[in-house]
Amino acid sequence: MNMVLRELRANTRALVIWSVCMFLCVLSGMAKFTAYTSATATGPSINDLLKTMPTSIKALFGFASFDMATMSGYLALLFIYVELVAAIHAALLGAGIIAKEESDKTTEYLMVKPVSRTAIVTSKLVAALLNVIVINVVTLVSFLIVVPLYSKGSNASGEVLMMTLSMFVVQLIFLSFGAALAASMRNPRASGSIASGTVLTAYFLARITDMSDKLRFLNVITPFKYFDLGRIVAGHGLNLGIVLLSLALVAAFSVLTYVFYQKRDLNI
Amino acid sequence: MNVIEIKNLTKYYGKARGVIDVSIEVEQGEVFGFIGPNGAGKSTTIRTLLGLIYPTSGSARIFGKSCTTNPEVREDVGYLPSEVFYYDGMRVIDLLRYSASFYRKDCTKRINELAEIMDLDLKRRIDDLSFGNKKKVGIVQGLLHGPKLIILDEPTTGLDPLMQQTFFDLIDSENKKGATVFLSSHILREVQKMCERVALIKDGRIIKLERMSALQENNFKRIKVEGLSNLDKTIFDMPGVSKLENGGKTASFLYRGDINNVIRKLAQTEVSNLSIDEPDLEEVFMHYYSKDG
Repeated sequence: MNMVLRELRANTRALVIWSVCMFLCVLSGMAKFTAYTSATATGPSINDLLKTMPTSIKALFGFASFDMATMSGYLALLFIYVELVAAIHAALLGAGIIAKEESDKTTEYLMVKPVSRTAIVTSKLVAALLNVIVINVVTLVSFLIVVPLYSKGSNASGEVLMMTLSMFVVQLIFLSFGAALAASMRNPRASGSIASGTVLTAYFLARITDMSDKLRFLNVITPFKYFDLGRIVAGHGLNLGIVLLSLALVAAFSVLTYVFYQKRDLNI
Repeated sequence: MNVIEIKNLTKYYGKARGVIDVSIEVEQGEVFGFIGPNGAGKSTTIRTLLGLIYPTSGSARIFGKSCTTNPEVREDVGYLPSEVFYYDGMRVIDLLRYSASFYRKDCTKRINELAEIMDLDLKRRIDDLSFGNKKKVGIVQGLLHGPKLIILDEPTTGLDPLMQQTFFDLIDSENKKGATVFLSSHILREVQKMCERVALIKDGRIIKLERMSALQENNFKRIKVEGLSNLDKTIFDMPGVSKLENGGKTASFLYRGDINNVIRKLAQTEVSNLSIDEPDLEEVFMHYYSKDG
């Protein structure tokens, strides 16, 4: 418990900054919604404009298949970026919290206390999980506050709830991935950059697979594609099977974190 | 009971040598010295003992248990690392309270006592402290739970001479209360002063493990001779003499062997002054090290 509190305290400032960024990200993203929809009075609507764009370009920016003139369609587009931010946070946090003792040279301090490495990893993962939950709730609340300002009466809170729920699963995947990475590496200081690089790679992979149906098999290696936003927009919620498979992946990464951290010589 | 049991410990970092075939036993209540130059493998031995790294082969146990499988044995271990690093943005008292939170006893009183002894301001931010003051924090946090085994790795670096004395007095009183002390250092003076037994390590191997008294007494005498006239240059050309410095009326050397042989030689010459001392450990130490290259 003392270690969890210590980790929470150490991460407070970063958590506040990420939370503010998340809110601003949602706010500034939603502010463009008016521009997208109100353009119909003076010129072509966003959908007309998108029709003239090549599919590959649309895919790259995430416009692929949503109706931009509707709130839920627009939300799905914006959500891709919000999820990217949350995923980077989760991956950096997971890698950082495990690597921290070694990068701050506090390994000797902590490891001579009467605690097992397993207990240390558990405390760190619990603290990281709480951080990720805060980011997720902040995102949800930001959407619930900001969306009604622009939605002109139509209620999208159901979709928002489902999207942030799916985002939570994606956050967990990247968090546990980052942790397992830092636990496995001989020099865990580099784990943060590798973890965030992996997130960006997964993100671009997710955009690329939108370009052609032939590339859809790649969706299995990018968590950004595990949850079909189109399905959420259509009001069908999350696929329970995929949620369970994702959680199994999270469990696998977590187990690897424990195993690697237990086996390795720690850097001093 | 042996508090520390290191058996045939070998540790390689990849291909780099850490320690090779190190065996050490430290008994309860003992003050044990661990001496060697930088990079000889002292810290590697300690880190393996504490479970921060795994042995390549052999074993290292504290109170009969390995720190990696039984981390709870560290409950009774206090450790002062050679370089101290702490978490950012904490005050001294925050860090000490955090340290204390790992032990199942109330350490508040002891923290205040130790801070008083070591002249440490508990309200300062650790980031603002000098190296020496950080070291003091390390000392307090290593001793605040009243450990039965105290492991010190180069403990006095950064401390001024007065504080070093205070520190050794503190360790001495802990030892009198029953704590076993394992003192690793490259400074022979402090080991000589404190330790009952000593192990010399060089290039990862233990080259000597002996009682401090035996190490000093049985082997060498430091002999200084002053003659009435210039001393014959060849007079001390005999087995057992080393480090001979012969200049004019005075000669000084280390002697190992039957002391009577030297006295017979000395009797052949007119001597104005003579001293026979225990050599300090430095000289013994240099002897062992230079012998092997």
